[in-house]
Amino acid sequence: MYSNMWALYAREVKRFQKIWIDTVFNPIVTVGLYLGVFGVVTSGQQIGDLPYLTFVYTGLLAMLIINNSFSNPSFALVIAKNLGNIVDLQLAPIAPWRIGVAYAMAAFTRGVITLCIALLATVWFIPGLGLPEHPLYFIFALFLTGIEFGMLGVAFGFWAKNFEALTFMSTFVMQPMIFLAGVFYPVANLPSPWSTISLFNPVHHNINFFRYAFTGYSDISPIISLLVILGFSFVFFVAMQILTKKNIVLK
Amino acid sequence: MFPLRINNVSKIFKNSKGQEFKAVDGISLNIEPGKIYGLLGPNGAGKSTLINMISGLLLPNQGGIELFGLDVVKDSNKTKQLIGVVPQEIVVEMAFTVEEVLYYFSGMYGVPRHERKARIKAVLEDLDLADKMHERARNLSGGMKRRLMVAKAILHRPKLLILDEPTAGVDVSLRQRIWALIRRLNAEGTTILFTTHYLEEAEQLCEYIALVDHGHLIKSGKLKDIQQEFSKNSIHFELFDRTAAPLTGVSEVGVEYEYPITSDLATDMAKLTSHYNHNLKSIRSEAASLEHIFLKLTNSGLSS
Ligand SMILES: Nc1ncnc2c1ncn2[C@@H]1O[C@H](COP(=O)(O)OP(=O)(O)O)[C@@H](O)[C@H]1O
Ligand SMILES: [Mg+2]
Repeated sequence: MYSNMWALYAREVKRFQKIWIDTVFNPIVTVGLYLGVFGVVTSGQQIGDLPYLTFVYTGLLAMLIINNSFSNPSFALVIAKNLGNIVDLQLAPIAPWRIGVAYAMAAFTRGVITLCIALLATVWFIPGLGLPEHPLYFIFALFLTGIEFGMLGVAFGFWAKNFEALTFMSTFVMQPMIFLAGVFYPVANLPSPWSTISLFNPVHHNINFFRYAFTGYSDISPIISLLVILGFSFVFFVAMQILTKKNIVLK
Repeated sequence: MFPLRINNVSKIFKNSKGQEFKAVDGISLNIEPGKIYGLLGPNGAGKSTLINMISGLLLPNQGGIELFGLDVVKDSNKTKQLIGVVPQEIVVEMAFTVEEVLYYFSGMYGVPRHERKARIKAVLEDLDLADKMHERARNLSGGMKRRLMVAKAILHRPKLLILDEPTAGVDVSLRQRIWALIRRLNAEGTTILFTTHYLEEAEQLCEYIALVDHGHLIKSGKLKDIQQEFSKNSIHFELFDRTAAPLTGVSEVGVEYEYPITSDLATDMAKLTSHYNHNLKSIRSEAASLEHIFLKLTNSGLSS
């Protein structure tokens, strides 16, 4: 019965639509502020053939998808656990793996909506940036990144017992991974061993692949990045399954 | 086919020190279609634990549970579809209105989109909540939230409706309302299983009862038969002055006293009235109350 799962998906989409001010303005303000600062500081600089502003901009957009698709399910689930609403998920005739998928899809939806809003509001300020260089890869990048971090968000949401645990993970794991992922600079420019370590940071590959799809610029081979994304998606999928099941049917 | 078959089910919890504790201990029980069953017992008896295992929230450590012939662990998606559950704890969504809560929750049970609005309207009218349809669920009063929980459990028209303490903390007129709805659903063919620790309430409502205490099933069957069994051959009475010298053969059962009928009812009544005289507050030989039966079976009170 897929309709049950889609109703859950629709509920989770409705949940973030309810806070539409946050959904709409958060991406505009975030991207806008970064652009304001970087635009002034770096005007005229280049990374290869790419203007530095375009480099940062595409990194910021990828970061936005990652942040939104990660935080949407993780916060929704920690809230549900604390209020006791999680019993709705336990009672309903929806298999645990479909519960995970419904939340991850809703997360992806939020990521995409956020991206579209940010793009529409800010792309006009980036000189010379047109339609994505590789449209098919662009759709891939969007879909895979949203789902990947949506699944990680579901896993975190089920894993975290309370907000402290979730905030801890966001602050000490997610944020450092994002900031060391080459949003603001090519990781190759880092002194070793950081440039090598960055290659093992999953987020780096999402940002690199997204940037490649949008502009044609890539730190490392985009195919490697794509494979890494698929690999981590699989790992997050398994983690999500295990943690969802554990929280739906209690031992 | 039995709507519910519980076969030798146990649940063990571990406390923080790692000690094991049997919340449900080898319970077996069958429930027949179309009836109203009361699962009764004091707080902590294991009622909710048993309900949670039936609902597929909690895995039993031992034994098996079948709903309409399907195993609740192996076929949980099918069994969950067949039942409606009102959990003991009241929980509500923060952001959603009453209508939204019901719209999505019934969707999660596969109620088609085009049918949801009409069903929601009808159920809310039955529960006297129609004017709260567009209110945020979290702004409802406690009694209204409880009724919202009942609404959530019946929108997909379950064949077995399970209610865990549906009337706890609900005032009298509202209880009547909830019970009227439950009786109607039962008349329409829904089997009902509910828990309560208000025994008088169970006495008025159910045809069948199961008494649990400390995780054990201590008695189950038709309420009338059980009452018959326990009120055979005895007279119950209350006294103003409980320090008065007792008549031989009288035993104390909670606030009441019990006297076994030795020869015939009239003679024994006369014997009691002449002994206690004006000290008698009440006297009867009618069916024993559930309270009384429970006390006899457990030698303990329910007022914990
Ligand atoms: N998750 C749990 N972990 C440990 N002990 C529990 C848990 N749930 C219930 N218990 C214990 O099991 C016993 C039965 O509880 P419960 O089924 O809620 O009783 P009832 O619903 O009859 O009041 C109680 O002693 C309770 O403290
Ligand atoms: Mg209980």
